[in-house]
Amino acid sequence: MNPLLRRLRQDLFATPADSLLSIALLAILASGSTAFLHWAFSRAQWAVIQANSTLFALGRYPIEQQWRLWLLTALLAAAAGIGWGMLRSHPRTDRSGRLWPANDRIAALLLLLSLALPWALGLALPIQLRWWALSGLLLLLRWLAGRFGPGLPPALKRLLPLGLPLLYLIGMLLIGGGLGLAPVPPSEWGGLLLTLLQASFAILLCFPLGVLLALGRRSDLPLLRWGSVIYIEFIRGAPLITLLFLGQNMLGFLLPGGMAPERVWRAAWVLTLFAAAYLAEAVRSGLAAVPRGQVEAARSLGLSLPQAFSTVVLPQALRVALPSMVGQFISLLQDTTLLSLIGLMELLGTARTVMANPAFLGKNAEVYLTLAVLFWCCCAALGLGSRALERRLDPAAVVRSG
Amino acid sequence: MSQSTTSSSYSSAANPSPLMIEARGVEKWYPNGYHALRGVDLTVNRGEVVVIMGPSGSGKSTFIRTFNALEDFQKGQITVDGIPLSNDLRQIDAIRREVGMVFQQFNLFPHLSVLDNLTLAPVLVRKRPKAEVVEQARALLKRVGIAEQADKYPGQLSGGQQQRVAIARALCMEPRILLFDEPTSALDPEMVREVLEVMQNLAADDITMVVVTHEVKFARQVADRVVLMAEGDVVEVAEPEQFFTNPRQERSRRFLDQIL
Repeated sequence: MNPLLRRLRQDLFATPADSLLSIALLAILASGSTAFLHWAFSRAQWAVIQANSTLFALGRYPIEQQWRLWLLTALLAAAAGIGWGMLRSHPRTDRSGRLWPANDRIAALLLLLSLALPWALGLALPIQLRWWALSGLLLLLRWLAGRFGPGLPPALKRLLPLGLPLLYLIGMLLIGGGLGLAPVPPSEWGGLLLTLLQASFAILLCFPLGVLLALGRRSDLPLLRWGSVIYIEFIRGAPLITLLFLGQNMLGFLLPGGMAPERVWRAAWVLTLFAAAYLAEAVRSGLAAVPRGQVEAARSLGLSLPQAFSTVVLPQALRVALPSMVGQFISLLQDTTLLSLIGLMELLGTARTVMANPAFLGKNAEVYLTLAVLFWCCCAALGLGSRALERRLDPAAVVRSG
Repeated sequence: MSQSTTSSSYSSAANPSPLMIEARGVEKWYPNGYHALRGVDLTVNRGEVVVIMGPSGSGKSTFIRTFNALEDFQKGQITVDGIPLSNDLRQIDAIRREVGMVFQQFNLFPHLSVLDNLTLAPVLVRKRPKAEVVEQARALLKRVGIAEQADKYPGQLSGGQQQRVAIARALCMEPRILLFDEPTSALDPEMVREVLEVMQNLAADDITMVVVTHEVKFARQVADRVVLMAEGDVVEVAEPEQFFTNPRQERSRRFLDQIL
């Protein structure tokens, strides 16, 4: 018998009950997917996405300044390519990849998507070309970093992560203006740009805050300990949406006139403070997983308590906490949709204005599906990155690669 | 109760006294009220190897952990290399720099390579140049017989190798006193010997060693004095030959009957 047939028979039709279940599930799958494909290709009208693609991407960002965002996207693609290549090749130097990523399913899929998607969306040819150039840049740098990254001097490799905060500052400058660039006020940022900006701001800042809170909760100083506990438990006990409304209203009262930050920044700070409480709990579980003997060994070698924490305890704790921290980051990214309820034009807010436009009435399914896919892509990228980082930080991985 | 006169000719300029560790009437209660140390007296001379034996729960681990302030105590005095142990953090740090410790569970840093385990403290605490410390670390790894494992991670080594790394790590700080807290109790039997050989080799040096262990053979061959602890106090201090063949105390006899 054909091996494929035998395999199918083993997996799906081993017993009468298995066969019955398989047939039922296959029938449900088939009817569901044909209905979906039929809808997607004949009933759905994707013009609503094509016509508003710039709005979904950037909101009302001025057209004549959009080159700044293209430049930023190119920088991000370059950073992603370098980071990806470095993470992939360590500790497995044999996995440096080829220029043509046929040996790597994820990269090949990305290449395929980046070729097909701009075309499928019917974007103007110059814009299609730009997207293709960007994914080419990403894959080229990924290959270069994988090929030559492991051979770089260690001192240079240690400096590389410092590029990320630098990139963030350059990004904020490009988006908001300053230093000779025309200012673009936050009220004009929108769409995916605002979503990613809010999420990345909160992720970057909640990390140090969360670590400090987690350490505070374990501190011997009662004031610090109780302060941290009260903060963490209060934030975790309150729904984010109430905190967002509270932030919009209260900061205005608390700070003297004109001092309260712009509403976009108010929301970003509330998200940050919210996420920090959850992150603190993730870090705390990581700290609890580091055996007591580690501190004792560090202390008996003469390390001070701060030295013992920063060089021995925290690196191990963060590695343990990494999966749950990334889980927090992913839900934080999704929580940014709540910002539409306080009137910010991030992805969901933009989508609501588009759907309210009489020209696109009744196109909700197309819009929501697009949002879901966009969010899924961002979260999948976060998840992949975190797994690569986990492998990179796992001493046992070095064992396997010999 | 615990005074003996075996001494060594080695002495340092900083602390001319022949006493390296002097404990007087040390008492410790755990927070739950358990009276773990009940007025322990012990002196350790410079360059001496003292082995502490005793049944589990006798307070021997707790006692040596007070020497580098991993455990606090409520009554009595401990002086280590001329520095009195107090709540003064600077003095505790000064003592910890001079006192190395090897633990039952090795307590190597799993996220650092073997070499980094050794160089971390000398570079961070003693502020010595990294290149010089790396050279010393490689020499120490060679001395404990695992030079070729320098770039591996602790998780890739056997228990015996890990414990030898832990000894090298303690030595890399160039301590004057080395404390061993049951260094072979967590090892598979076939790995005990390689660790004991390293310790025996060390004992020939000038370094002062206090070893909590159940290894009778090691105590017989290497110790200058053997201390028996029971119920939180020192029962007997004697030279090994006398302790193992003709102990003075009835409690020692009972202990030896159980382990020999």
